[in-house]
Amino acid sequence: MSVPAAQMWTVAAYVLRQKLRGRRRYPLVLMLEPLFRCNLACAGCGKIQYPAQILRKQLSVEQCLRAVEECGAPIVSIPGGEPLMYPEIGRLVEELVRRGKYVYLCTNAIQLREKLEAGLFTPSRHLSFSVHLDGRRAEHDESVCREGVYDQAVEGIREALRRGFRVTTNTTLFEGASPLRMREFFDEMMDLGVEGMMLSPGYSYSKAPDQEHFLRKTRTNDLFARMLSKPKRRWRFNQSPLFLRFLMGKHDYECTPWGNPTFNLFGWQRPCYLLQEGYAESFQDLMETTRWERYGRKSGNAKCRDCMVHCGFEATAVNETFGSWRGFVETVGVTLTGRF
Amino acid sequence: MTEPETTLEGWTPEPGPDLPLERIIDLAFDYRGDTTVVLTDGTELPGYVFNRNADAGEPFIQMFDADGAGPRAIPYSRIRTIRFTGRDPAAGNSYALWRRRKETGGAGRDERGRGQG
Repeated sequence: MSVPAAQMWTVAAYVLRQKLRGRRRYPLVLMLEPLFRCNLACAGCGKIQYPAQILRKQLSVEQCLRAVEECGAPIVSIPGGEPLMYPEIGRLVEELVRRGKYVYLCTNAIQLREKLEAGLFTPSRHLSFSVHLDGRRAEHDESVCREGVYDQAVEGIREALRRGFRVTTNTTLFEGASPLRMREFFDEMMDLGVEGMMLSPGYSYSKAPDQEHFLRKTRTNDLFARMLSKPKRRWRFNQSPLFLRFLMGKHDYECTPWGNPTFNLFGWQRPCYLLQEGYAESFQDLMETTRWERYGRKSGNAKCRDCMVHCGFEATAVNETFGSWRGFVETVGVTLTGRF
Repeated sequence: MTEPETTLEGWTPEPGPDLPLERIIDLAFDYRGDTTVVLTDGTELPGYVFNRNADAGEPFIQMFDADGAGPRAIPYSRIRTIRFTGRDPAAGNSYALWRRRKETGGAGRDERGRGQG
């Protein structure tokens, strides 16, 4: 585990506060999408296929901050689109850090070096660049459908680390991923000096161009079990160890779709970061009027059947850690032994 | 094998007993291109339908105009039909095209749309 102690404590205290207040549903990570524009068009992405007038639009910093206040989650993840293309990304991050939020800026890092050199960001324990890397050079460039992107991302990572920023990676795995190559990738990232890695199987977006390579549940379990068996002590993961054990098939969790609520140009997305079944005008409206019983594995919803994505299940894993002694002891055990 | 591509681009549905307006609205909401909302008074509103709420007391859609202005809300009761007039950016086998180009040695800079306006 590589989540800094201060961040872990903030999350733990937040979860315990929610439990003491008797809140059954509470957000953990706000997914804040200030724009849909991107300088890549990855085969597995269903986020950017919109008409030009929608792609030109973006949220104002004030709209973003209102959403952050409404939601109250301790962690704000900024995906998109490509957030470094958001003209006010520097001010937005500064305001979020000032509010004590832990910010994960999810970027393909193509523009990272340029933005760092322009002095757009200041290092902070509250800010982490979460760089999208789907594997080693060949796998990543294949995944983003453009050659040379891996090298650009690594260059951005090096520059960010040199300047004292926190850097993590986020990796989406698809059908055909090689456990051996992924283990080599983990070594490569540790050699680079990133703080930790985040892993997730991909979600079968209906709008994504490539529909052939999304993982189904049993394949996901098999891949993660092989990839994470006998993990090296030096590998650090910036996510819940129970979530990784879930991906390996050692737990059978139910989805927590409200755990990572999503706010973008259209409002609060129902029901989750991945499915788009409508939009609510306020966070309260989202929480109170979404028919949550229609989602998750138990619901029988076909769109949820094979989903094991972090935005639905990491919140479940975190709740398990802080909601039961068994979960807590298991989390501590994995953290101390480094064994999944 | 990739399934044959299907898109609603160019479709001009007429609501009827076999095709209720609510179904057309659902399809328009799911469509990633611009549409033209035809109102009961004959007014035509081109733009992007990004939301629909059939559970509201008065069901409505929300859309941005073709120039990005909005959003505006329109009750179902004012809609006669919706035409699928804009290009469908989610259609297409860009991944397959990219793979084919790569396999034939033409890989390199990706010339597909990148989601930039």
